[in-house]
Amino acid sequence: MMNKTSMIALVLLLISGVYPFFVDSAWLAIGTTFLVFSCVAFSQDIILGRAGVFHMGHAMFFGLGAYTTAIMNVQFGLPILASWAPAVLIPMFVAFVLAGPIIHLRGDYLLVATIGFNIIFIQVLENDVFGLTGGPNGIFGIDVVRLFGFEFASQTYMYYMAFILLGITLFIMRTLDRSKFGRAMFYINKDEIAAQSMGVSVRYYKLYAFIIGAGIAGAAGSMFSVQYSAVSPEAFDVTQSIMFFTIVLVGGSASLPGVLIGTFIMFVLPEVFREFETARYLVFGLAMILTMILRPRGIWPVRFGNIPNFLKKDVK
Amino acid sequence: MSEYILEIKNVTKMFHGLVAINDLSMKVKKGQIYGIIGPNGAGKTTLFNCITGIYTPEMGQILWKGKEIKGTTPYKIAELGILRTFQTIRLFAEMSVAENIMSGRHIKSKQKWYNGVIPTPAYFKDEKEQWMKVGELMEFFNLSQYATTPAGDLSYGVQRRIEMARALAAEPELLILDEPAAGLNEHETQELTDTIRKIQAMGVTIMMIEHDMEMVMSLSEYITVINFGAKISEGLPSFVQDDPVVVEAYIGSDEEDEHE
Ligand SMILES: Nc1ncnc2c1ncn2[C@@H]1O[C@H](COP(=O)(O)OP(=O)(O)O)[C@@H](O)[C@H]1O
Ligand SMILES: [Mg+2]
Repeated sequence: MMNKTSMIALVLLLISGVYPFFVDSAWLAIGTTFLVFSCVAFSQDIILGRAGVFHMGHAMFFGLGAYTTAIMNVQFGLPILASWAPAVLIPMFVAFVLAGPIIHLRGDYLLVATIGFNIIFIQVLENDVFGLTGGPNGIFGIDVVRLFGFEFASQTYMYYMAFILLGITLFIMRTLDRSKFGRAMFYINKDEIAAQSMGVSVRYYKLYAFIIGAGIAGAAGSMFSVQYSAVSPEAFDVTQSIMFFTIVLVGGSASLPGVLIGTFIMFVLPEVFREFETARYLVFGLAMILTMILRPRGIWPVRFGNIPNFLKKDVK
Repeated sequence: MSEYILEIKNVTKMFHGLVAINDLSMKVKKGQIYGIIGPNGAGKTTLFNCITGIYTPEMGQILWKGKEIKGTTPYKIAELGILRTFQTIRLFAEMSVAENIMSGRHIKSKQKWYNGVIPTPAYFKDEKEQWMKVGELMEFFNLSQYATTPAGDLSYGVQRRIEMARALAAEPELLILDEPAAGLNEHETQELTDTIRKIQAMGVTIMMIEHDMEMVMSLSEYITVINFGAKISEGLPSFVQDDPVVVEAYIGSDEEDEHE
């Protein structure tokens, strides 16, 4: 049995699976970055779309993962593989420490606080505080993934690694949505008082969202740094955070297809219209405004009611 | 332990100098249906908000099975087994009826912290168990046909049933109902009365604020009457009903209404 959504999903899976064999290297790189950005957007969506936390500093967690890999590899000569776990765990830990004191703040205050964190993060990177981040120029010469003497150096390998990462991310999103954790986030998002009255700890589940979101963003960051073999501060500044935030709202909060559409519109479309130079950002801004006016819940809004079939037998 | 499951002792709650609850005391026996009545603005909802931890009273004690619970955060109150409904319905409007009721299973679910990202066999078993329980509750409250409907799209009477189902899903020891019959028609009120009796028969203690006198008098075993935050009368329904102080309070409030 197959519904429309799974059909679309299958077609997309097939297209993205064979994509590298039909495009040039520029488009292959765009495809890879699209996959990586999708992971970041999904992780933003855990915090924003599910827990309902107005977090506008997500590029920081993305950057933490990227810089963890870059520093471990370039400054300490460790293999990329060795940096994978730290690139996930360090952003998670930072999320726990930073979100703790601000998690109780009301939406607008929290939004400003997260922007503040992102700005400080960029300052730290640019000022080369520990002599590790390479200042405004960042870090160059990041290695490729090596395993048993084999190098995963080509862009095609990069693409498929990002593809697998997105697969893992989607698996996590699905598990989350079908667990008490994901539901608790939705309850908090829809009505905090009611959620608490049902025994949901608002603090615990908002922090949970932050930590998981930061971990996924960190993994994506690590992938990103290897793909470009370099990292620099401007890829992780507040403007990037705004983009991830916008992707979720334009695509559709808590909607898996919505976030993919959002990433496509906000990242891939501008690449398609490259020759129009800055004018493309005009179209872009207009698209954002129009979506919010015409489809405030996003282009592909979330649909609730994903319940086991045995509960649907009396539904007419 | 005393025979009282909940004891409210000399509780006072103020809002910016305005006394919403004034030195109020009451004792609820296990298994009882306890009624609370009083004119609008008397402080009834505020009392429920104090019990469920939404507000912390300035003075007095709230004892749950002999232990002080004043100032405990709402989610911990729920974990203790005190669940509530709201006078102004508070459902997760965009979510389906089944998902709304599932929120009541939150504290009963045994999923581990890592099950939000990693499914395990125990997680699948737990998930199934909780949904089965939701199914039972939907049947009990005659909601199965709406399983996938967003709660906010349903009529007022149905929404009240969802709220009760959600609270009952948590298998409460004390169920707190704030005006459960408000906005219901006669037929629905009758159904509600039967449902409340069935819930009591399950061994659940019930505290209820209600303006429908016929219903509250027939259901309650004991009643406290509040006016201007203070207790003005208490006792068996038959006593409270004829207490001149109570009659006076309600007439007084009617007059006020006319002047509005
Ligand atoms: N959060 C609040 N802030 C200020 N005043 C409040 C608040 N909640 C209730 N009150 C006041 O407390 C009094 C009692 O209200 P309430 O408990 O809702 O009455 P009832 O449920 O008996 O109709 C009212 O005067 C109301 O305006
Ligand atoms: Mg009230």
